[in-house]
Amino acid sequence: MNRPVAAPDTRDIEIERKRLTDALAETWKTPSGIWGALATVDHKIIGRRYIVTAFVFLGLGGVLAALMRIQLAQPEARLLGPDRYNQIFTMHGANMMFLFAVPVMEAVAVYLVPLMVGTRNIAFPRLNAFSYWIYLAGGTLLWTAFALDMGPDVGWFAYVPLSGPQYGAGKRADIWAQMITFTEISALAVAVELVVTIFKQRTPGMTLDRIPVFVWAMLVTSFLVIMAMPAIVLASTSLILDRLVGTHFFNPAEGGDVLLWQHLFWFFGHPEVYIIFLPAAGMVSTMIEPFARRPAFGYLGLVMALIATGILAFGLWVHHMFVAGLPRLGDSFFTASSMAIAIPAGIQVFCWLATLWDGRLVFKTPLLFIIGFIVTFVIGGLTGVMVASVPFDTQVHDTYFVVAHFHYVLIGGAVFPLLAAIHYWFPKLTGRMLNEALGQWSFWLIFVGFNATFFPMHILGLEGMPRRVYTYQPDLPWHGLNLFISLSAVILIAGFLLFFINAFRSARVGEVARDNPWDAPTLEWATTSPPPSYNFPMIPVVGSLHPLWDDRDSLAVANGLRTDRRELVVTTLAAAEPQAREASPRNSIWPLWAAIATTIMLIWSMFSPWAVVWGSVPVAVALMGWFWPKGTPEDES
Amino acid sequence: MRLDPPIADALDKIALMPNRIGGAPPNVYFVLGRPYEVNAYNLSQGKRLYAWFGCKSCHGDGRGGSGPGFLDGWWSYGPEMVSIFASIRDGRPHGMPAFGDKMTTDQIWQLAGYVQTIGSYEGKTAAPSRNDEKQTRPAENRAPAKLLFDEGPTPVHRDQGPTP
Repeated sequence: MNRPVAAPDTRDIEIERKRLTDALAETWKTPSGIWGALATVDHKIIGRRYIVTAFVFLGLGGVLAALMRIQLAQPEARLLGPDRYNQIFTMHGANMMFLFAVPVMEAVAVYLVPLMVGTRNIAFPRLNAFSYWIYLAGGTLLWTAFALDMGPDVGWFAYVPLSGPQYGAGKRADIWAQMITFTEISALAVAVELVVTIFKQRTPGMTLDRIPVFVWAMLVTSFLVIMAMPAIVLASTSLILDRLVGTHFFNPAEGGDVLLWQHLFWFFGHPEVYIIFLPAAGMVSTMIEPFARRPAFGYLGLVMALIATGILAFGLWVHHMFVAGLPRLGDSFFTASSMAIAIPAGIQVFCWLATLWDGRLVFKTPLLFIIGFIVTFVIGGLTGVMVASVPFDTQVHDTYFVVAHFHYVLIGGAVFPLLAAIHYWFPKLTGRMLNEALGQWSFWLIFVGFNATFFPMHILGLEGMPRRVYTYQPDLPWHGLNLFISLSAVILIAGFLLFFINAFRSARVGEVARDNPWDAPTLEWATTSPPPSYNFPMIPVVGSLHPLWDDRDSLAVANGLRTDRRELVVTTLAAAEPQAREASPRNSIWPLWAAIATTIMLIWSMFSPWAVVWGSVPVAVALMGWFWPKGTPEDES
Repeated sequence: MRLDPPIADALDKIALMPNRIGGAPPNVYFVLGRPYEVNAYNLSQGKRLYAWFGCKSCHGDGRGGSGPGFLDGWWSYGPEMVSIFASIRDGRPHGMPAFGDKMTTDQIWQLAGYVQTIGSYEGKTAAPSRNDEKQTRPAENRAPAKLLFDEGPTPVHRDQGPTP
């Protein structure tokens, strides 16, 4: 252990500012070098890693999309065969949903939530490190399998019997199911950390009605993760058992049920959509304030809409199964509940519009992406209401209309806000600003390219072009639009390339950012850009929803935390009154060992059920090492 | 997707031994990387062809019927791909019809790869698994049948001998 700069039990109030920051930096630092990087539990470093990894997967998924567009640009193209095409669309969907969209939202939260609630690290920081390694392993597994021509080929929702033992040949569907297991573990870990951070580590004074909307969104999202993931755990485990040891969960001839898969999958799969969308909505509600130069209209409405969406999310999964032959009454119920989701979504849209209407708008890149988001998301929402109706859905089920709809809601509803968020929080992440001119260029390219690519897919769908076909015949009336779509995709790709170039360049040579370059009201801007390892020299105390606007000159701070060990303030759930000083764990290499042991067990278990028995031994050893007392000052509490 | 005609032609040119048992696949088969033995897509297509072309009517679920079974690891003409390919394409005495004019070369190879897999002479990670039907036999991805021919101190089948 390093010798502390401050003597044991030195409180922050007892020493002058310079020595305080030195002592805190020593206590909270991540040592340089490879070992320090592997052992760190700093939520900012892990969050940045998570974000970068997720964007790498976005780029890879984009390459797959480009391959599909080249293949479909003309009828009877021979670039990809049916087998490779099946793998590519499955990889594209699974990669974008499980390795990009969900993790990137959690990644942003891992970075921002502790800063926004004014604490020094996320709750359970070692679990956080573990979650990143597991996520990385899952992504590596999927892409390695694809490189070995073993990529899953059963669609991102892997319906049985296609993915079952009879038709899902080889280890392909197992790769998919086990990749899900990896992302389940990492997502559940982050969800638990976020719930505890938001409930117990908010800075003194941050009552429930002073929580930034993004933090509320992450709280609701985390509960969604915790409640939705068990369904997919059950489903994917049953699938692996069916395939590996010959159980009959999904075999009707032996008393199993094929529809059971669809119910379990969509009971997870539909909330999954809101696990992606709610953080994005929260980002917009938070980012809109500095660019409209006024508080977001209808804070209560925005938060209630998030919670309402979270609850409704569990009551409409059957709308994915309208053509599966369910009772009429069930169809009607789920049509109604699916349409009801438009109410909380509408409340949010109108709140954002009201905020913009009344604001003095600052047209920087993040605001452009926010406006682009509102436009595309509303179009996607409208087609969503259309496909919620059974007669309409029966016509367009499994056509390009559905492809157009969900790209509008997923790219329009989540990627646009995410790109806004990256432009907005980039200074906090890196200490430098993104280039504004390149940012605006990339917005217009992405916005125009996106709409030109995906809008014609509505028409293709109405003309009857089915999803997941690797080619089509020249006498079908689809090739003109398909060529147009593929050409438009070039514009979309150019926009994303420009964004990546901008991010690379600005991270190195961008304009150095001030602490609060947007004059924003939330706590993450109260510290330096990028924040020091301990986040805040003294824990800020807030008296309003917009502390940096309302107490512009000086922010009140709490004192009494020790500087010689990692310590943070625990507050009450509703009123955020200080309760205790709680130790926060130091860096540890054991989460990495635990992740490696878990990875070995999970991959081995695709090939032999005995892996669960023997593979759990190294996991147990790693966990013992993880929890073994290390004799640090943090052990005292 | 149909194979390129020159590749399909080349794949058709297997070199059989004079007794029509064993031999060598064409060179292109190795250039492609033995796709019909190790690629899961081809094996799963083979499994469907097994059902579509009525192999079951004689060979049953793999245990045999009026024709020989595949599950026991015993092969009348050896377990090599070329022998199985030749059996399907050209037929064999005592009732095995020729399918050469009913299936494409690609399909015959896929089916041959699957039939070889039923015998499970070697373990394959690319093998399909049990059917979604009443369970009458072990799945294709079970332990390799090579075990049956191991004459070690405690052989599984005393009378089986060292080779199929």
